[in-house]
Amino acid sequence: MPRLDTFDIKLTTGDTPLQGPLKFIINGFPLEFENVSGGTGAGETFEATGAPGSFPHSLLVHGPEEGDWEVKEFSVTYHPAGEEPYSIRFGAVTVDSASDLNIWSDRPLPVMNV
Amino acid sequence: MPSWFSKVFKGGAAAPKPIEKKAPAPVARARPTAPKPPEENEKPKRTVVHAPILPDESLSASEGGDKIRIKARIEPDQQSCVILVDRPVLDGFSVWIPTAESKADSPLAEKLFEVDGVTSVLVHNFTITVNRSPLVKGDWESMIKDLGGRIREHLESEATVVSDSFLADLPNSEIIEAKLDTVIKTEINPGIAAHSGAISLSRVEGNTVYIEMMGGCQGCAASDITLRQGIHQAFREAVPQIGAILDTTDHTAGTNPYFTELPVGM
Repeated sequence: MPRLDTFDIKLTTGDTPLQGPLKFIINGFPLEFENVSGGTGAGETFEATGAPGSFPHSLLVHGPEEGDWEVKEFSVTYHPAGEEPYSIRFGAVTVDSASDLNIWSDRPLPVMNV
Repeated sequence: MPSWFSKVFKGGAAAPKPIEKKAPAPVARARPTAPKPPEENEKPKRTVVHAPILPDESLSASEGGDKIRIKARIEPDQQSCVILVDRPVLDGFSVWIPTAESKADSPLAEKLFEVDGVTSVLVHNFTITVNRSPLVKGDWESMIKDLGGRIREHLESEATVVSDSFLADLPNSEIIEAKLDTVIKTEINPGIAAHSGAISLSRVEGNTVYIEMMGGCQGCAASDITLRQGIHQAFREAVPQIGAILDTTDHTAGTNPYFTELPVGM
């Protein structure tokens, strides 16, 4: 597993918004996003960069303190140290007040056409 | 000029001082403790939710026409390759051909065993997993092209994937379930109990087996080895006709993966 220098996230909220600023958690440590634009209101798109500079055993977005949060879709572009960046697209999910959202995925194995 | 190493360790300028031996400090036991009952005002543990990963659009783009589309992915161990076909190869059951000697069970596998280095074939739903001998060196590319060509040719000819005799000998899922349940209770779980692990049979569909790993096995880095070298072997000895054996465990889920705390009662 390479060190993850930075990652870019683009996340669209569904009908149920998230109140408050979005934070990410790397290996249990909460950190602030950088270069934030947009928001997590209903139908809004949030874009930001995270700079963990560490080996991600877990990478999460902090879920809501109260109520649910409907995530319509999101994509993450990971920038591992010394390697080419790669992107993963995630589908819809609902995060409740007792949960955090996983935003980590290993680099997919290469697939070839036969 | 002597190096710092020879000065220090071979009677140079400064002889090392003898190290004063101290009684060893008591070592804290690393054994995890059973979870405490939640106290008042204690924040409940947060769980992790996983969103589904969407397919890469560039790979799923249709090329048009009736040509069978085939993609291949080499597994990290470099010994097996998963070949994905755009239509079901086998529906409702799966077939595991462990050696070239048993290739008569599957006319498709028979063609794949003609490729040098193929050691086993698993056909399940849309996928064909081919293992090759560790003695085969070099990249997979030419081998995959050969295998893909044979699969396409076989499917286009509408020839059968498994033999009639294989289908006739296939036990029903209730019998498979009962036999595997016995193996789990009498062989597998007693064996992995030393690691506080356990497995359970989730379901059997046709002859495809779904299992779940629990306790010390959930999230364990060695769970794949346990599955391939222990569970597969025990299951296939008990019921040789079973096909794919799939682990349905979410190894990152829950509040206690990687075994940070002993489950209650252990």
